[in-house]
Amino acid sequence: MTLENEDLVPFAVDLARSSGCEYSEARIHKSSDVTCFTRNGEAEPAMISECVGIGIRILRDGALAFGATNMLSQESVRSLVAQLVKEASVATNATRKKIVFSAEKAHVKKWSSEETKRVEDVSIESMVSYLREIDLLLSAPIRDVTFPNRNLFLGYNIEEKYFENSDGSRLDSRVTRESYIGILLAMYEGRPTSVSVPAGYAGLGGSGGWEIIENLRLHDKLPSMLKDITSGIKATAKPPKDESLDVILGPSVAGLTSHESCGHPGEADRILGREGAQAGESFLKPDKLGMQIGSQEAYVSDDPTIPHSMGFYLFDDEGVESRRRRLITAGKFTEFLQNRETAYEFGVKSNGSSRAVQYDREPIIRMGNTFIEPGDWTFDEMLKEIRHGLYIRSFMEWNIDDKRLNQRYVGLESYLIQNGELKEAVKDPVFEITTPKYWSSIDARASDVEFSCGTCGKGDPMQGAPVYIGAPHIRLRNVRIGAR
Amino acid sequence: MNTEPYTLEHISEIALKEAARWKCNDVAITCSRANDFQVRFANNNITLVNNVRNLSVDVYIAREHKRVIGTTYNPTDNGLKIFIEHLIKSCDALPPSKDYVGLPEGSLENKGHSNFDSRVVDSNLVDYAKQAIDSALSAGALRVSGSLKSEISEIYLATSTGVRGRDKSSQLLLNVRAFRDDNASGQGLACSSYVSNFDVCKAGERAGSYAERALNPVQIPEGVYSVIFTPTVISNILPVASNASAFAIETGNSFLNDKLETKVAVDALDVTDYGVYDHGLGGRIFDDEGSPTRKNEILSNGVFRTMLHNSTTAKKFGKTSTGNAGIIVPKPFTIVFGGGDSTFEEMIRETKNGLLVTNNWYTRFQNVRAGEYSTVPRDAAFKVENGEVKEPVSGLRISDSIPRQLENVDLISKEREWIRWWEVETPTFAPAMRIKGVHVTRAVGS
Repeated sequence: MTLENEDLVPFAVDLARSSGCEYSEARIHKSSDVTCFTRNGEAEPAMISECVGIGIRILRDGALAFGATNMLSQESVRSLVAQLVKEASVATNATRKKIVFSAEKAHVKKWSSEETKRVEDVSIESMVSYLREIDLLLSAPIRDVTFPNRNLFLGYNIEEKYFENSDGSRLDSRVTRESYIGILLAMYEGRPTSVSVPAGYAGLGGSGGWEIIENLRLHDKLPSMLKDITSGIKATAKPPKDESLDVILGPSVAGLTSHESCGHPGEADRILGREGAQAGESFLKPDKLGMQIGSQEAYVSDDPTIPHSMGFYLFDDEGVESRRRRLITAGKFTEFLQNRETAYEFGVKSNGSSRAVQYDREPIIRMGNTFIEPGDWTFDEMLKEIRHGLYIRSFMEWNIDDKRLNQRYVGLESYLIQNGELKEAVKDPVFEITTPKYWSSIDARASDVEFSCGTCGKGDPMQGAPVYIGAPHIRLRNVRIGAR
Repeated sequence: MNTEPYTLEHISEIALKEAARWKCNDVAITCSRANDFQVRFANNNITLVNNVRNLSVDVYIAREHKRVIGTTYNPTDNGLKIFIEHLIKSCDALPPSKDYVGLPEGSLENKGHSNFDSRVVDSNLVDYAKQAIDSALSAGALRVSGSLKSEISEIYLATSTGVRGRDKSSQLLLNVRAFRDDNASGQGLACSSYVSNFDVCKAGERAGSYAERALNPVQIPEGVYSVIFTPTVISNILPVASNASAFAIETGNSFLNDKLETKVAVDALDVTDYGVYDHGLGGRIFDDEGSPTRKNEILSNGVFRTMLHNSTTAKKFGKTSTGNAGIIVPKPFTIVFGGGDSTFEEMIRETKNGLLVTNNWYTRFQNVRAGEYSTVPRDAAFKVENGEVKEPVSGLRISDSIPRQLENVDLISKEREWIRWWEVETPTFAPAMRIKGVHVTRAVGS
């Protein structure tokens, strides 16, 4: 796990320290990606990238400066640090509020994702063959629905970092991730529908070796998922409109709500306004910790330490050890996601939420693996108690405002519920609800938590961070459904 | 690794020579140097200065009709050698592509370069940021956030078919967001390749003014409205150019499928892609295959006229490249909507009962092929009644379809603005438009 040019990391930190910086950190960060892509079973060009460089961040007289270069020489690093010191001085003179970092323990560790079959040993040839086998399975018509366009992606990422900071942390890491994504065009009675499999533009994968892909059993899972989705593609029945009814959300829909309506508004940098110009702010304010937002059944956690998860990491990019964060407990916001800058503002310790996706990006607050915690219901038990309702198993369209208050999910595979039983499939039910109303409406959680992979967008320049989103089936009482 | 003494040309030629050693059919090397400087601010204070210096090499290799693309950030001689060997081995492991077509030949005419102003390099972004903040505060804001960037990019392209090209561009980009209170905000953009056209004060004033006017928003019922969309919103919700990419069409993910030479929009709507728009924003004088870029009329008088092609998609459709490569995905470089015959003030005056939406984000599709989507208005939005902008509104969502909207544009402004920000990646020159019959929804619980 030794990266080339690691010696530039302490060199940069020492230079910054000797230039009068109160804090500095540097990381050599290498990200290697291989993605194979087939279209209707034919291999498109494979895509391979190796992104490596050094990212340096300094805090000097209350001003924060970040810089990066892939010119990996002492001369280049010296020039960059000098430039950052100069820019921080100019920024200090132009701003009234000084930035301070929370004091945190230093760590010296080597850590990695658990890996049985090294991804470097997996050939492009076998990846393409794998995709072709899956394509063949997805190419057959299902219940009169055909799939004339199938775009399948399979790839891996190796992220290697060597990090040091002026507190004395030295962290050496390697995380490998694998993922599958599929986008298909379905035709039914001359009507085209673009869908992803899994639905919701989600991926399947995790961190570890190639066994992650093998254990997913995509050959079984994907045709089954596609078959389920055809119910939504064929549906013509309109959903109940403007009625108050009970709704069961499938794990993929509920999982995304944990990310969009709990994780994001609970990011302390949004709460303090630092992301105001792009990713937005939050309906939560600094004094809202402990605020009752939902029912006693609302429980949400974010845990980057889950082995083999997509959002797995043991130390963040400020040198802080990660841990599970319980964001909502019995309907109350109980913890925000913090980095060292926001932790100081809140008078707490960082909970290790700061990540950068590549060397030329600053570390910012990110989720890892966010999920609604499991309950002790079964799906059938939840279903049995509904007289008139809707089951939204999967979705395609979703969005939320930038304060994270007003969200919408449009069902793909969805069914009416009558007297405790699933009835006909309905077309494009629209679930549009505010965040407090959403969390307050949950009255039951099943035990069947499922995770899917996502790429969370935030930051400027944009940083797409690998995450897991997860949930069990959940039930909501008395909510409104609309139609497109 | 120290590549600073090396020129882009030197690195490209080394990479090309290394690939030639493996007897490739086609090789295209694009070597890029990017110097980006950014100042971010929030709550009227500078929160970060950001300085990124990158040198990357994009490589396309075709060998025995097998194809691979790659990017490396290790452009030393040895780094390139190892990377290209890796690509060759990967390429050999692939099956031959029936879509293979050779790279274009010939030389690029000396066309100068894209929109570039050397003075951008010396811009004082901290001063600009202070001006933007002060302008927004003076116009009525209490808090101001934003991002201000200067981007200088230089590229050199060398192909095995003898094409050589050099290009550079500059961009100054400001996104300023002003808050009067938590529910009253406004956005202003300044986007220019030239220092002389970069007006941070105007952007700050617009953001601050919108924020002040957005105070105490009211809720409106769900329904169907005539909506005036600013250039910022139009640039995002009418993605005609990206949907004209032959790749999007071929993979079934475009609402323009099967619509070539068909009327898809009102007569007044023209959309054109330019490689370089004179005195515009950014651009490219050649594409990733080494074809010169050009002007392509995508929509003309509402008719879908031109699909955007690279060599591969052109062959499949029996056409020639339009100079829009992407090796895999043809892409627009500078999107220009035609201007209309109304002033923005006239558009307001001519609206009896409608809405004005100034900004949006989070556009997502239920069915990409059908163009069915929703998006969330953000920042100031207003009722427009009897020809006047009235009280602000909040909590709404646009839920509509692109084909329907294209057929229902009824007013287009004369004035156009350059747009590039978080939600609009490709530089776009767009007018404001009024669209009839727009579906508006809202969340329950608000």
